[in-house]
Amino acid sequence: MRRNLSSYPLMWRLMDMLEAIFKKIWPKGGGFWSPYLMLSPAILLVGLLVLGLGYIGDASLRTLDTSTFLFSEEWSLTNYERALIEPFIRSVIWRSILGATIVTMITLLLAFPYTYVMVRTRSAFLRKFLLITLFLPFFIGQVVRAYGWLIILGKQGIVNDILGLVGIEPLRMLFNYPSVLFGLIQYMFPFAVLMLAPALTAIPEEIEAAAESLGASWVETMLHVIFPMAKSGMIGAGLVVLTLSLTDFAMPAILGGGTQDFVANAIYDQFFRTSDQGFGSSLAVLLIVIGSFLVWVVFVLVGAGTLAMGAKDK
Amino acid sequence: MNQPVSQKLFFWTLVVISIITLSAPTLVVLGASLTSGNIIVFPPDGLSLKWYEALVEKQELQDAFIRSIWVAIICVFISLPTGTLAGIALTKYRLRKGALIQTYLLLPFTIPLIGSGIGLMLVFGEVGVLGSLWPVGVATAVINLPFMIWAVSSSATGLDPDLELAAQNCGAGPVQTFFYVTLPSVMPGIITGSLLMFILSLNEFLVSLLLVDARIVTLPVQVYNSIRSIITPDLAAVSVVFIAVAMLAIAVLDKLVGLEIFLKSK
Amino acid sequence: MTFDKQIKRRDLLKASAMLGIAGAAGSTAPSLLMAEPAKPKEIIIRAWGGPWVEALKAGVSDPFTAKTGIRVRHDLTEDNEIQPKVWAAVAQKRTPPIHINWDTTTNATKSALRGVCEDLSDLPNLKGTTDLAKPVGVDGYPIVNTYGYVYVLAYRPSAFPSGPPESYHDLLDPKFKGRLAFYNDGIGFHFPAQVAGGGKLDGIPSNMQPCWDFVSKIKAQEPLLGEDPDFVTWFQNGEIDAACTISTNALGAKRNGVDIAWTIPKEGAKFDTDGLWIPRGHSEGDLYWSKEYINQALSKESQQIWLDGLGLPGVIPGLQPPTGLAGDPSYPTKPADFDRLIRISGKIQVENESEWFSKFKAIMQG
Repeated sequence: MRRNLSSYPLMWRLMDMLEAIFKKIWPKGGGFWSPYLMLSPAILLVGLLVLGLGYIGDASLRTLDTSTFLFSEEWSLTNYERALIEPFIRSVIWRSILGATIVTMITLLLAFPYTYVMVRTRSAFLRKFLLITLFLPFFIGQVVRAYGWLIILGKQGIVNDILGLVGIEPLRMLFNYPSVLFGLIQYMFPFAVLMLAPALTAIPEEIEAAAESLGASWVETMLHVIFPMAKSGMIGAGLVVLTLSLTDFAMPAILGGGTQDFVANAIYDQFFRTSDQGFGSSLAVLLIVIGSFLVWVVFVLVGAGTLAMGAKDK
Repeated sequence: MNQPVSQKLFFWTLVVISIITLSAPTLVVLGASLTSGNIIVFPPDGLSLKWYEALVEKQELQDAFIRSIWVAIICVFISLPTGTLAGIALTKYRLRKGALIQTYLLLPFTIPLIGSGIGLMLVFGEVGVLGSLWPVGVATAVINLPFMIWAVSSSATGLDPDLELAAQNCGAGPVQTFFYVTLPSVMPGIITGSLLMFILSLNEFLVSLLLVDARIVTLPVQVYNSIRSIITPDLAAVSVVFIAVAMLAIAVLDKLVGLEIFLKSK
Repeated sequence: MTFDKQIKRRDLLKASAMLGIAGAAGSTAPSLLMAEPAKPKEIIIRAWGGPWVEALKAGVSDPFTAKTGIRVRHDLTEDNEIQPKVWAAVAQKRTPPIHINWDTTTNATKSALRGVCEDLSDLPNLKGTTDLAKPVGVDGYPIVNTYGYVYVLAYRPSAFPSGPPESYHDLLDPKFKGRLAFYNDGIGFHFPAQVAGGGKLDGIPSNMQPCWDFVSKIKAQEPLLGEDPDFVTWFQNGEIDAACTISTNALGAKRNGVDIAWTIPKEGAKFDTDGLWIPRGHSEGDLYWSKEYINQALSKESQQIWLDGLGLPGVIPGLQPPTGLAGDPSYPTKPADFDRLIRISGKIQVENESEWFSKFKAIMQG
């Protein structure tokens, strides 16, 4: 205890010093400004991307001259017109939006019970097991992981071998839209659980007990008590999954067999294959606009997410 | 837990499905790395450790791994304070234009990675800092920042303004209140977020690809590039080594602070 | 890959033996200038991974290092992924991330048109090369082609019991539904498809309708689309029976024990080249020694070893074909061998590629 006693005053002095510094640098009556000051590092950091977007936006307004592979000096909307006219691009955009929506719904549906069991279980072993199961796939890159699926679900894969034992002809389970969505769900699942976990952790178990002692069935408890309290986590998880699957590139490329492209694949082709950074940039800008719009709609609809601060405002 | 049977059944069915889908490719890759043949197959074509031996010889893979660790450390170093402050600010205060700010802060996810990569390459190129490792760390911090912010803000349901007020009533200044009251209550989010940032940064390839050159190539870039010609079992072996290192890190973390800290608030 | 390792070791021995001879003869390794500018510590070559870089290392990089003492580092970024990096570096007046790009001639032609390539026409070893070394459709030598390759029709012999497919029309048989593969953007397939659809090669690029008609027929067969590693993977896992792909992939798959053979159908096959080029923006010394490297790559002894590894025909006359490839349709040497090969100028290709690719994609993804 002696060491502790002597260290206390040092800590105090340090704290007093910090308080003094804080008073000096923090604006007077900072109540209104403090959230914005706290946000400023993040805003600046994302600002790097916005600077980069400046280049992308500029490139999107210039057309490629394929006899010199240089971009036009003057700006025009040609690339955007082309993007909106080509039926191929339209079908790719639609496929991405639909896919991202389905993936988000299914992922949340699966992630909720997983998180719930992980958070609520009394067994430390089970909790660790679930946690580790969650983290391991991260260490196998998307490409190698997709390769694993090929071995499992391919024409000569394990699942078809098993089906063969009961006399079912080999099925083609890969290289179609559902297999891309499946791959995305598997990829997004750990993200969703990790976003949900802190939210569920913060809900006291007693609240459920209380709800049930008042006669609520478990379904009712989930719907009326847990879901609303876990709202911030659900929104966080949902947005992460929605935006990441909307812009994903690897799963459609590998599990789609080349015929299930998402917008990011079309962008990749323009940047890296046909060297048309202008057209690629215009697709990127369109995707950002669509994604940001979806995000904004979610924020507006569900009351700006975590800002409501749960019960505290009532 | 005294849950009704129907709930247990429903939850566990979904959990078991999830466990199988999560682990199946990992297990297959693990098994395939032990093959004695020259191609990835499962079950493996005879057992051998030759693909692991092949890894030991590859100095450049080991160098790339060390560089990746550095990148990941830089990433956490930047994103932890940035994301934590933002996460708390977004939760604690009602902001004007909140939806707009939130949408802005989600830009790293709504911009396709290729766009972010090309953009950052031009920005860093313009100021002449390409060729060192830290811009890669910064880049991975930017593109994954929403994870940090959201991990923190989704744990902030446990944030109790009354507690903060109480602390201040007892004479604690804003700094003390922040460190002793606010921060501990969002700790699960901070730890989850940081770990996620670390892992994602360690594994990031598309943006890194555009920011590194051959002298400072990171492990995922190296692996991704060698996959492009033909997929051989040494890549499965790399993945397994990666997993082993991760398991070790998790075990150490468990011994030091206990994994429980992820899921326990306060 | 043990196979490649064995090759490599053997080739290394051969290479050092040849170097010994070259050193003794003195005159067989001509240099660009008498006074040599300052040597860089290392030069960086972009290369494809796996057997590709192994072959380059054994045939060119190792002899180059032995001769000059300059280390060679290989950057395994894909050719089309390094392109924006190099272009940005040149535009921003930075030192490019690589010294030499080992690139497809089509991709390199874009860089040449854009003006980011150094001129290579003063390389001494260019004198001994065949016409193949000269890029078509650009002035001078912003690129030097180093070998040619063929987009063959690779197939699983067991799926074609009555012998190799003779025509692309054979692939329209219902039993191949879902069992064919092409490149994502259709590269390599456009020209034979033009012939298969009843069109003329003169119709490229003005009248490609026959090509699109035939691609639509193929689309009804629900083919898979992918990249080099996908084809090998798909053959290996029994997903496909035939694919239009570069012969090196088929050869690589065969060397790794996959049951595969290849042929050139009567419609012909696309022939193209790969080359080496140097991006602008390097110091004088770095440029000089990078040129020396390309000069080395054009020497007969380097070509022999490098191209043995790739199984492809080089640009120096009198190279020994790799074992088993003499007379193979994927290894053309005599004028008659080129009869069924289709070669379209790089300039026409790069000017229309974007349109061809999106047309192909539109049909396939529709």
